[in-house]
Formats: sequence, C-alpha cells, structure tokens
Amino acid sequence: RARGEGRGSCSLREAVVSVTELGLGYDSDETLLFRYCSGRCAARRRNYDVSLEHMKRAGLLKGGRRNKVRRGPCCRPIAYDDDVSFLDNNHRYYTIHEVSARACACV
Amino acid sequence: MLGYLDFYTTGFIMLFTNVFGVLLLLEEVARSLAVASALSGTGTPGWRTPVDCVKASDMCNQSPQCSSRFRIMRQCLVGRDRSTMLANRECQAALEVLQDSPLYDCRCKRGMKRELQCLQSYWSIHMGLTEGEQFYETSPYEPMTFRVSDDFRLASIISGMDSAAVKSNPCADSSKPCNPCLDAAKACNLNDTCKKMRSLYISVCSKGVFGGGTGSGTGRLPIGAEPCNRKRCHKALRQFLDRVPSEHSYRLLFCPCRDQACAERRRQTIVPACSYEERGKPNCLELRRTCRSDPLCRSRLADFHMNCEMTVHSITSCPNDNHQACLASYVGVIGTDMTPNYVDASHTNFTISPWCTCRGSGNQEEECMAFLRDFRENTCLRNAIQAFEYGSDPSLVPVPLPATPSPRTFIGPTIISASTPALFGPDANGCLFSDCASLETPLDLITESSGTSQDVGDDHSSGDQTCTHPWMTVLSCLMVRLAL
Repeated sequence: RARGEGRGSCSLREAVVSVTELGLGYDSDETLLFRYCSGRCAARRRNYDVSLEHMKRAGLLKGGRRNKVRRGPCCRPIAYDDDVSFLDNNHRYYTIHEVSARACACV
Repeated sequence: MLGYLDFYTTGFIMLFTNVFGVLLLLEEVARSLAVASALSGTGTPGWRTPVDCVKASDMCNQSPQCSSRFRIMRQCLVGRDRSTMLANRECQAALEVLQDSPLYDCRCKRGMKRELQCLQSYWSIHMGLTEGEQFYETSPYEPMTFRVSDDFRLASIISGMDSAAVKSNPCADSSKPCNPCLDAAKACNLNDTCKKMRSLYISVCSKGVFGGGTGSGTGRLPIGAEPCNRKRCHKALRQFLDRVPSEHSYRLLFCPCRDQACAERRRQTIVPACSYEERGKPNCLELRRTCRSDPLCRSRLADFHMNCEMTVHSITSCPNDNHQACLASYVGVIGTDMTPNYVDASHTNFTISPWCTCRGSGNQEEECMAFLRDFRENTCLRNAIQAFEYGSDPSLVPVPLPATPSPRTFIGPTIISASTPALFGPDANGCLFSDCASLETPLDLITESSGTSQDVGDDHSSGDQTCTHPWMTVLSCLMVRLAL
C-alpha cells in the first residue's frame, strides 16, 4: 500500500442482500453476499491526473465544459466473482455473472 | 421407552451368548497379531485394516502369478455373457487364486484418490464371486465409523446442529414467514466454497432445461434438442456433495418444511428436471441393471442398502442405530443413475424414490416392489432424515410417524443427543463409535476371563481394558455388526 492510504481507501466491501434487491428483475428471496468496491483514491493520483486537472482549470482543453473528463482515479472492480445461481420464487433456476466484485483498484 | 430398552438389551445379551465364543477366539487372534507387530517393531496398528483395492491390485501386480490371474479374471467379466464365461475352467481357476490374494477382502474409501479405479478393482473380483446377481450386495466401502474423516464429517453435522440451535430461529416467531430451505440456501450462499460449488452444479444442470433461462447467453445447445447434459450434471452434483461440508449440503437436502413453497424448494435442490426426471419412467429392475453396470453407481447403491436396511433390532430401525451412516450413503446415491429425490412437494408426508416404476415387471413384480420399498417405505431412511431435520431445528416438535404395531416406531431427536457424547465427547474412552460404549461392560468381562497374555504391548495400561486396545473393541464391534 502506498503511503497516505489509510481507512476509507478503495477496498472491497460487502452487503447481504436478497436477489430481488439486486434490481436485475429477478424475483427471489434467496440471500447472497454482494461484494462491491468503495473508498477514496486520492493517494493514487498519477501525473496524468494532476496534469489533466490543471489543463482543465486553465481552459487548455478543447470542448470546454462539454468535454467530460475525470480528474482523478476511481475505485472500480478489476475482477468479478464467479457466476452465482439461485432458485427464484417460481422455482426456476437462474445463473447471473459479473454481479459481485472480487478485487478492487483505483483505475 | 423402557420396553424398547429392555428389548434392546436382551437383544444384546442374546447376541453375546452367540458371539461369545467367536469373540474369545478373535481375542486370541488379535493378541497374537499384537505380538507379531510388537516383535516386528513396525509400529503399525496391531490388526490388519482392510487394504484399499488400489493398493491391493498394486500388490497383486507385483506377483507374476497373481497379476496374470487378475488379467484373466478381468477378461472373464468383460463379456456380455458373463455367466457362461465364468463357468469356464480357466476363469474358475483364476478366481480361486485371487481369493487368497489381498484383492479378496479389499475395500474403498468414499472420496478417496482414484476412487473409481478402486471400485473397479473391487468389482472385478466380486462380480465373479456373487453367482448371479443378488438382491443386496456387499458394499465395497469401509464401514462408515472406521474412518476418521467420516467421524469428522459427522461431527460437522452435529456442530452444524449446535450452531443452528444457538442462532435465533425464524420459525420460532410465527408472525414471520419461515422457510428453512431458504435459510439453508442463504447459509450456503454466504460460504464461498458452498456458493461456488452450488452455482456450478446449478448452472451445469439447468443449462437448456428452461430454454435459455439461465441468462448466461451461452445457449450453444439448441433448445428442445437435448434437455441438458445429464452426465455432466450428475458429476457436478457429486462434486458438490463431495467437497462441500455436509453441514451445508445436508441442510439443503433435508430442510424441514411446513409449507409447500419450502417443500418445492427442497425437491428442487438437485435440479430434478435434469438430474432426476426423464421422459419415460423405466422399470426399477431395469434401472438397477443399468446402475449395476457402472462401478460407482453399483457401489453407492450397495452402500445405501447396507447402511439404510431396515432393522427390527434397533430403535431407529437403522443398522446399529447409525442413522448418520444411512444419511451419508443416501447422499452418496445422488448423482448416479439411481439418483433418489422427493417425489412431490408435499410438506406433511414426504416420499422418496428413484425415477422408476414397477410397471412392466412381469413375474419379477415382487422383487421390484421390494426394491422400491427400500426407498419409498424405508423407516430407517425416514427416521434418519427426520432426526436430521429436528436436530437441525430443535424448535420443531417431532411428529411421530403413523403408528405401526412393530417396534420400529420413531423416537424423536433424543437419539442424536444421546449418542452424541459417546461419539464425539472428550470422554469417549478412546472408543471409535457409540456401539462401543454399550459394549464396554461385557467386553471387560471377556478380557478379564481370557486375560492370559495381557501384558503384551500395553505398558501404558490405564486400567480400562476396553480402551487400551481400541482396535480390539473395533474388532469385536465388527463381529456384532456382522452378526446383526
């Protein structure tokens, strides 16, 4: 870990939710562990991020306000958990993939 | 209850008078074996544990005579017309030689390395030994209680029960909906291994079943052409049951239900659309023939018959009251051609059956019915499942089975708690299984009366004869087991 990264830095968190609560349109009371990425990435700024922020402020980039760029790295999954299967409330099986994170990074 | 106990003890006493002489003899044999091992100084346990069949065939292959006979024997059993081949003089001679080899009484362990190879070796000689096909065959697996791994497994079931008992129980609060099968799925999903293995078999087994309902987008199988890959599904199911701790898998398979939604979920556990149901229902004896042509299925079925055979002499109506062994061997049949399941989503009275019928049995109808009864009307299996259910969910009041005049009536979950300390408690006296606890006194008597060469190899004698020689107890227990 780089210095300056303490608590609240980008990491894997988890929540216990029902399949219905995932909001994917499935109706199932089955519970699963939803892992997601969350946390700050301030200490992970590269020269790219510093330069980009400066140039944006100075109006050196074409397109002005409508040119959407991210000024800092953000915390995202770099790998996803295995497929997860469940039985829905109408007794049908479904398998969904890439629904839960396995590893996170500031990218 | 007292009456049953009386019945139980008199049974034991009668057995002892019968087995007494044999036990004395065995004691002597065991002692001489102990002397031999003490002299050789190898430090190996004093009695010959059954060699596993992979090792036994390795040993056989080292001797030119044995290996050639073994090869002949395998050729004798390969042909379709096995009985005429076996009548062949060369085959008979080969069988005679092999009966003296370690292959003759070798056994296999469930989930061992090269299990299939072991089972193949076992049947390559035992198929020749059983003339014609018997109704019940000897299980190639070691008796459940001899295995440390299995004790561990059973312990995990028990501990699973304990933790379930400690946890707050949703069914205790009648205002909330209660679905123990859903809770079991939750427990599995929160455990990484269980979730992974469960998702694996579900995705394999449900591929194509619901016409692309898996949402995976890999619909390579044309819908309707092939319902699913049954073989792969069975394999994935077996892997799930082998690798996932039984506290999770058993909870999913045997969750106690109070409503239909729960019971339907329980029925769906093994994805029956792929692993269980087929377009037509074969005749049960036909299905048994199919099963017996496969070494794994044949072994698991034989093991089920051995451990779940209804017995009049025990309280649970299971052999040696070991209903955990029955559950384990029932689970072993899942993922084979003989895969059993709940036949419907009834929550009041469950029925278990393989996917077969006795229609079209002809003159073998009686045999077919008897075969099917071992699944559908098996009191031992039923009690074992219910004991697990109530054990895992103590708030549910045991519902006695319909009263029968025989002494096979169900006696609540007390059995589990009674046998637990003997099995797993710290004061188990070094005994390997519960039977030993009840055998302690008579065995002590025997050891004292025949104690001529007691001093051999027990410098650390702690006074308790039974348990300074745990293997002797095991041997004696085995005898009782065989006598039963």
